[in-house]
Order: sequence, then C-alpha cells, then structure tokens
Amino acid sequence: MLFPTVDFAIFFVLVFVGHWLLNHQSHAWKWYMIGASYVFYAWWNWRFVFLLAGVSFLAQTGAIAVARTRSPRSRLVVNGIAVAALLLPLAFFKYYGFLAVNVTNAFASLGLESTIPLIQVVLPVGISFFTFMAIAYVVDVYRGDFEVASWTDAFLYLSFFPHLVAGPIVRPNELIPQLQERRDERHVDVAGAAWLILGGLFKKVVVSSYLTTQIVDPVFGDPAQRSAPDALFGILGYAIVIYADFSGYTDIAIGVAKLLGFQFPRNFDRPYAARSIQEFWRRWHMTLSRWLRDYLYIPLGGNRRGGRRTYLNIMITMVLGGLWHGAAWTFVFWGAYHGGLLTAHQWRARRGTADAKVEDRKAGESEEGRLEGLRQRAATFALVCVGWVFFRADSMETAFSLLRRLLTGWWTPSESLTPLVVITIAGMLALQFWPRGFGLWLQSGLSRLKPAPLGIVLALAMLAIVILGPSGVAPFIYFQF
Amino acid sequence: MRRSEAPKERREEIPAEGPARGLYARRLMPAGRVLVVILVSLLTWTVLYAPTMKRAAEASPLGARRTVSLAVLRPIAAVSDWIGLNELADSIERAVGRDQGRPGGAFVPPPEDIPLTPEGQDDPRGDGGNGDDGATAEADSIRAPTPDRKLRVAIVGDSLAAGLGYFAERVFLPQLVRVSGQGRISTGLARPDYFNWPYTMHRIVDRFDPDLVIVMLGENDHQSLQDVDGEREARIGTPEWPPAYRERVLRMMRIATSQGAKVVWAGLPISADYRLRDHSRRQNEIFEFAASITNDVAYFDAWDRFRDPEGGYTAFLREGRRVILIREGDGLHFNAIGYTILAREIAKLAVEEFGLSPRTFQTAI
Repeated sequence: MLFPTVDFAIFFVLVFVGHWLLNHQSHAWKWYMIGASYVFYAWWNWRFVFLLAGVSFLAQTGAIAVARTRSPRSRLVVNGIAVAALLLPLAFFKYYGFLAVNVTNAFASLGLESTIPLIQVVLPVGISFFTFMAIAYVVDVYRGDFEVASWTDAFLYLSFFPHLVAGPIVRPNELIPQLQERRDERHVDVAGAAWLILGGLFKKVVVSSYLTTQIVDPVFGDPAQRSAPDALFGILGYAIVIYADFSGYTDIAIGVAKLLGFQFPRNFDRPYAARSIQEFWRRWHMTLSRWLRDYLYIPLGGNRRGGRRTYLNIMITMVLGGLWHGAAWTFVFWGAYHGGLLTAHQWRARRGTADAKVEDRKAGESEEGRLEGLRQRAATFALVCVGWVFFRADSMETAFSLLRRLLTGWWTPSESLTPLVVITIAGMLALQFWPRGFGLWLQSGLSRLKPAPLGIVLALAMLAIVILGPSGVAPFIYFQF
Repeated sequence: MRRSEAPKERREEIPAEGPARGLYARRLMPAGRVLVVILVSLLTWTVLYAPTMKRAAEASPLGARRTVSLAVLRPIAAVSDWIGLNELADSIERAVGRDQGRPGGAFVPPPEDIPLTPEGQDDPRGDGGNGDDGATAEADSIRAPTPDRKLRVAIVGDSLAAGLGYFAERVFLPQLVRVSGQGRISTGLARPDYFNWPYTMHRIVDRFDPDLVIVMLGENDHQSLQDVDGEREARIGTPEWPPAYRERVLRMMRIATSQGAKVVWAGLPISADYRLRDHSRRQNEIFEFAASITNDVAYFDAWDRFRDPEGGYTAFLREGRRVILIREGDGLHFNAIGYTILAREIAKLAVEEFGLSPRTFQTAI
C-alpha cells in the first residue's frame, strides 16, 4: 500500500497501537511486526510475500552457514554462494526480459534465431532494496562486522515495513540492535516525525505530481517538438521531480519509523548544493552510495591498486549502480556517465591534488570564494541534470533529441512553461540552501503544543497538501526498483 | 498514573552553534499522547474533508469498499456540513481554482487545456483538400493539411489514451498536424458521475473542432453503469448491461462525429490479466458493432494486432526476427515504443478508411 493513502493511515494506527502495547514483550512484538510488515507487502500482490520470505530465508541460512564455517577460504566460498543465491531472484525478476530481448536481437542481427523464451516478468515492488539489505547482512557476518541474528530478527530486519519498498537501505548494525532493544515509549519524537512526514507528502503529492504532469511528461513525451525553454525546464523539472519524489518517500519512511521509536539513516542531504560530483554522491541516495562503496567498490579493490584500477573499479561500480535502477540501456548509460564524471574527478584529484585542495578551500572564503563555490555548484548541478535526461528518457534517441533541443529549439514557441513551473523549480532549488535552523525552529515550536492542538495543526497541513495535490496518487518513482 | 507523577519530558538537544542552541530543542512525547495526536489529526482532517471524500467514494467502483466508505463518511460529512467546517476546505479549493460547482456534474471536472481553434481554421468538412499528393479528393476523406491549416487530431479516453496522446505527437508530423491529447486516467463510460465523457467530448468538438478523433477507453468500464447523478442504470453481468453500454458508445460516437470529424475507435488490447479478458472481448464486440453502424467511424482491432500467434497475451512485438518490448509490467499499458507503434497503426487505418494523407505521419519508428 502507498504511504499517502487512507488504507495506510488505518493500517498504521492499528500497527502503532499494537507496537507500543507489545513493546515490553519482545517475542510477541517481533512476530506482530513481522505480520504487519507482511500484510503491508501483501497489499501490493500477495504472491510476492513468498519471494520476500524466500529471500529472508536465504539470507539467514547464508549468514548461519558463513558463521559456522571456520576456514577463511571456505568462508569466502560460502559467502560467495550465499550472495549469488540472493542475487538470483533479483536477476531473474529484473533483468530476464532485458536479457531475452537483447540476446534475441543480437542473434537476429547475425541472421540467427534465438530460442530464449520471451517472458515479461512482473517486477516485485522493493526487490532491489531488500535484496541489497540481505546481501549486506550476509557480507557483514562474513567480515565479522556483525553477528548472526536470530531468525525473527533477520526476518524482521528485511521485512520491516517503513523501509521495505523503497528504502532507505538500512545496515544490519543500524537496525537489528534497535529491534533487540525495547523502544522508549515515554519519549517519542512526534514533532520531528510529523515534520518529515508532512514535508515528504508535500514534496511527493504537490511538487512532484505538479511538475510531472505540467512539464516533465509533455517534454519527455515528445522532445523533438519542444522549444528550448521547455526542454530546459523539462530537464530541471525532472531534477526536482526525482528528488522530491524519492526524498519525499524516504522522509515519510524515516518519519513513520520515528513514530515507532526507530532511527533510520538519512538518505538525502541537499544533493543539489554539492560542489563536485563526488560530493553529490555523498548527498544523494546516501544509503545506496555507501552500499555500493562498501559491498562493491571496496571488494573490487577500491583505490588501493593504483590509478587505472581505481578508475576501472569506479566505472564498474557506477555502471552496475545504473543497472540496479532499471533494466534498460539508458540506465546503464546514466551509470557510466556518472562513473566517467567520478573518474575524471578522481583523476583530477590525483594529478592536481594541491590545486584541487586550494580550490576547495577558496570556495567559502571571501567574496571570490563564494563566487567560486557558486560556480562549482552550478557546474555540478548542470552535469547532474544532463545525467537525469538519460535516467528519465525512454530511449537513448529520446535523450539525445531532448539535449539537441536545448541548442536548436530557440525559435519554437513554448507550450508547457508557465510562471508557476518556474517558481516551483526555483523554490525547490532555493530550499537546498535554506538555513536548516528554520525547520528545526518550526519543529521545536510544534513539539511544544499539547496533543490535541498539535493534531489539529497537522490536520490543517494535511488538508492543504491534499487540496493542492492532484486527484489520485501516482506511485513513487523508485517503486519500480 | 496521576498527573503529578507524569514523567518529566526530556528535551532532545539538537546540535547547534552559538547562543541559539536551546532554540532547536524538541520536546518528546509519550506514545499514548502521540496516539492522541494521530487520532485527532486524522479525525479533524476527515471532518474537514468529508464532503469531498464522500463524493469520491460515491464515484468509486461499486463494491464492499465503497459501501463501507460511504457508511463511515456520510454521517461525518453531515456533521461537517451542519457545523460548516466543510467551508474551510471549499474556500481553499476555490482559492486554488477548484470550484465545487463543476460543469458536467462529475466528480472530476472536464479538462481545462482543450486548445481553441482560431476562427477561419475550421474548414468545412468533406472538401478533401487540394489533393497535393495526387489522391483524388473525396467528399468523405480527411482533408489534406497544409502548414497554415494543420490537421487537428484529438485523442480521448482513459489512461491508454493518455499515453497514446503523448507518443502520437512523435508519429504525426508537427508541421502538418496538431495533436491534442485529452486522455484522463481512471475514466470511462460507465461512471459519468465520476467523469462525464459525453460532456467533455462536446467541449472538445466545440473548442478544438478536430478533423480526426481517436478514442481508446473501456478498461475502467468493468463495473455497473451509473448515470450522472449516481443512480444505477445497469448492473454488470446482467442482460441489461450490453445494450446500455452500447448506447453510451453510440452516443459518444455521435458526439465525436457531430461536426464532421472522422473517428477511429481503438478497441481494448489483450491484457495479461485473464480474469478481465472475457469482459474486454465483449466490450470490443460492442465497439466494433457500434462503429459498423455509425458513419465516419472505423474500428481498430488492438486485440488482434497485439496478441501472440496463439491468441494469447504477449508483451513483445515481432518484426521479422527482431523483438520489441511494447508493454509495461502491469500487463495492460504500453510502453513508449508500444504507444508509438499503436499510433502509427491507427494512422495507417485512418489512411485506409478515411483517406488520411500519408504525408501527415512518419512510418518509421
């Protein structure tokens, strides 16, 4: 079920009550939450509950097998088998169709007939997320960073509904200890949670939906006919849409977890304020970035094997990261594009280390430094937006067509651009630089209200969000992952 | 626990620099009070918004969910009306341009982005244009467009039409054709109380004066038929349903052709969900029959065009040895290339049936 629906509201009230009533009964509480999480997942499609259970079973079996294996070489082998087993469902559900089509067409180009069955496999919601969490669990046990959890802890860790369908990708050492401890029912951060939930709803229901229907879908639907301003703001609009949509969802997830007494890691930290592509990836989808770093980049060797190997490791990591987002060449290209940018950044850092550090220091000191910082941020944002074109476009041709329109479409009248579109995009970008203190001050004020007045204030905020948003709720963008 | 023994609330310190440190401290709350906050907020929101939610529930498909929703919302909406709390929501909606008094009487208002055709651009129908492509001008052909007098193509219907509308713009040449995509998700002919397609079709014909109308809807019509006031007209699964639905289809066709436009009515494609196939097939039979007895309407058999050789569902299209994925993972909607192919095929049918100039669209995908 989607977060911003009446179904979820009713579900959550029931879960909230049961959660806190059973808080002192660890065993009963865990089974209750596992049940609630499986109900949450089954709401999408009950058949995929078996997939979730199967992945959880594989993960726990793998972790136990690794923990019981003594010899380092054998542990490595067992770990490898466990990770491969966990990747199999993801590979099948997500990439079989892509593979079948491309192999068939490759054979066709050679004048041959392929015998691969053409099957369109329905993608289970959230499979990419809980598969990555399962891998993190097994590998952390292998590395000795975490001990094998109990079966209930492992199942609950993977199925816990706030993060289940679209993250954040929570590490075992971040969540499992919290599952084992009793939550403090006397001190719940309701104001902080409300801020996250309402902010997330606003970003998703109002901002993302509006820009998607007003400019993004029309521009990406037929880019060849769009004016250059439409194309430009279509791209900027999508940069805002994907940020608002995804960060909105994870904010709600973090807020919901907070109401249950859990702390989830942040997933976004004003990514469009980044001054370099490396900094962007430290601010965007942070839990995925660190997963790729810790479970892919570092095992490949990281930056420990010289320059060329470092660049190769970066490219492999980012290409696979792109492929994780979707089974299409546009995602592969997007990943490779960011891999290229990060490689260039790494090369520049290695070749001109002193200059790079001086430039970083300059940005922030004095007027000249602030201008330099602004230049860096603008350049980074522009590079990121070019990448988003490939992320959103339905084909490489569409992406290049849209980019061409930035140069050739200046004589075409605009059809989709309105002042409100410009204001919305500008406003969301401005929020990347808004003083954090304002939000904290507001939360502090909310926390001082008594329960009933606070409930009324939150209701008014929800009412405004629902009225400003369109009718119907579009799924979150990252649900397809 | 007595009030005097209530636990002291602990301040959560938020790291901050300088004298503003205490400014950001948030008070934490016991879970019981948090529950009060949640229930008060949900109840307040429900009371404020109940009349709109009641209308949404009334416009939703018949079934247990609708029955329960209305049972809960009707008394709350009555309380909201009596106290006058619904005025707050109404005021906000009016302030953002969403008036309660909607033309057409439906829950979802008609679109506001129907382009207006300037005077002088609305050619009299049947003149066949100047025959630049060498074709003989026929009285019942779609006129041949020029850059100054572009052909106007309206695409109407549900989410399938919404997708088709975007990608038809890739197929039709913009120098000669103006496409207006007016598809609306979750709509159909069964529930004019939710979205009034006949009223909307009138507006499209009046404002846009299309030369060609492409209609694609029906996937949301697997339900009982109700009238614009929400009264049931025919229950699904009864002998009354097919003729009543056929009348709605015929009415839609008559409105679409009322000012001389040609209509291509695209049937429903085969879907992965086998439970809906029988009903979809019957709908397609109704569409095809209605098209056969209505002038200036042609039927496009999407079911036959996009099924596999054995007559079943496939998400792929074969062109020689090559395969193309043309459907989304939901087993119904098309993806970008699928919609583009669909638009091309419909355009080809319009060439055969109505003499649409082949110069108006591109055949290569």
